[in-house]
Amino acid sequence: MATAKELSGSNNVNNTVVGPSILISGRLTGDEDLTVRGRVEGELTLSRTLIVEPSGVVKANVAVRNAIVSGVVVGNINATESVELTREGRMVGDIRAPRVIIVDGASFRGRVDMGDVEPGRLPAERPTVARPTAVARPALPARPTAPARPPAPPPRPAAPAAAPRPAAAPPPPARPAAKPMPPPPPPTRVEARPAPAPAEQPAAAEPPTPSVMGAGAKKKVVVKKKAR
Amino acid sequence: MANTVIGSSIVIDGEISGDEDLVIQGTVKGKISLKESLFVEGSGVVEADIETQNVEIAGRVTGNIVASDKVELKTDCRVVGDIKAPRILIADGASFKGNVDMDMKER
Repeated sequence: MATAKELSGSNNVNNTVVGPSILISGRLTGDEDLTVRGRVEGELTLSRTLIVEPSGVVKANVAVRNAIVSGVVVGNINATESVELTREGRMVGDIRAPRVIIVDGASFRGRVDMGDVEPGRLPAERPTVARPTAVARPALPARPTAPARPPAPPPRPAAPAAAPRPAAAPPPPARPAAKPMPPPPPPTRVEARPAPAPAEQPAAAEPPTPSVMGAGAKKKVVVKKKAR
Repeated sequence: MANTVIGSSIVIDGEISGDEDLVIQGTVKGKISLKESLFVEGSGVVEADIETQNVEIAGRVTGNIVASDKVELKTDCRVVGDIKAPRILIADGASFKGNVDMDMKER
């Protein structure tokens, strides 16, 4: 056609771009990818991917298939596939998507809803990076509130190092509960201590503390005394 | 060339403003105010009042157009509304209904 020249100029970029100085306020709907470098306010509905670049600001309720946020989003995102907050992404609002990726460096305040989360199945179904990173964020504030409590067996292997430090003398009930678990850890530590006999000594001296922990705690106490 | 492109499957209902060129291949309803050029391509549909420096229309526009420099209606465009600009070009094959006002302050 006669307009081929014109079209070639704009068709090489097949998706929609909102430039850095553009403000769109109102309702935006579409069936193609949208890249936002400027501002979009109101309501945004796409059947494809929304990309908010570092200069982009979206203050809208967003419904898309995929969203990649490197800029600022204020509002809720409802994605049928995935939402990714990149290192430069900042967001305030709720995310609802089966896959949520929050990268280190991103800032986010809001709720995350990944739908029906079945703890048993998820690791098998998606061994992707999405799960751990996304969960890590919400979990961070939660940890300090309940530090000394060992609620579930899974966190236990990672927790022991952190648990004794904040509370020097944790509640005794927690320790006995942990005793069934230790069998795996001791073998590794036993290598450092050749004989299993020493393990019983601290246990005898301080009944509530288990062998391995007791050793660690004792050493610390000694150091403190020396410092004073 | 132009930074901002509204693709052919996009529908915007609201207001667009900015300081850069805007290419419309999709649908925009509401209001458009730019300090640069607006291009409404063949697939573009605009039902909005337009306020810019330059406008080039190859698609369909319904609404009043005020340009500080130039309005160009290309072949096969369909425009309904009033146009106010110091320079107005209407190409052969363009269809247009409305008032034309070139009597702006001379530049």
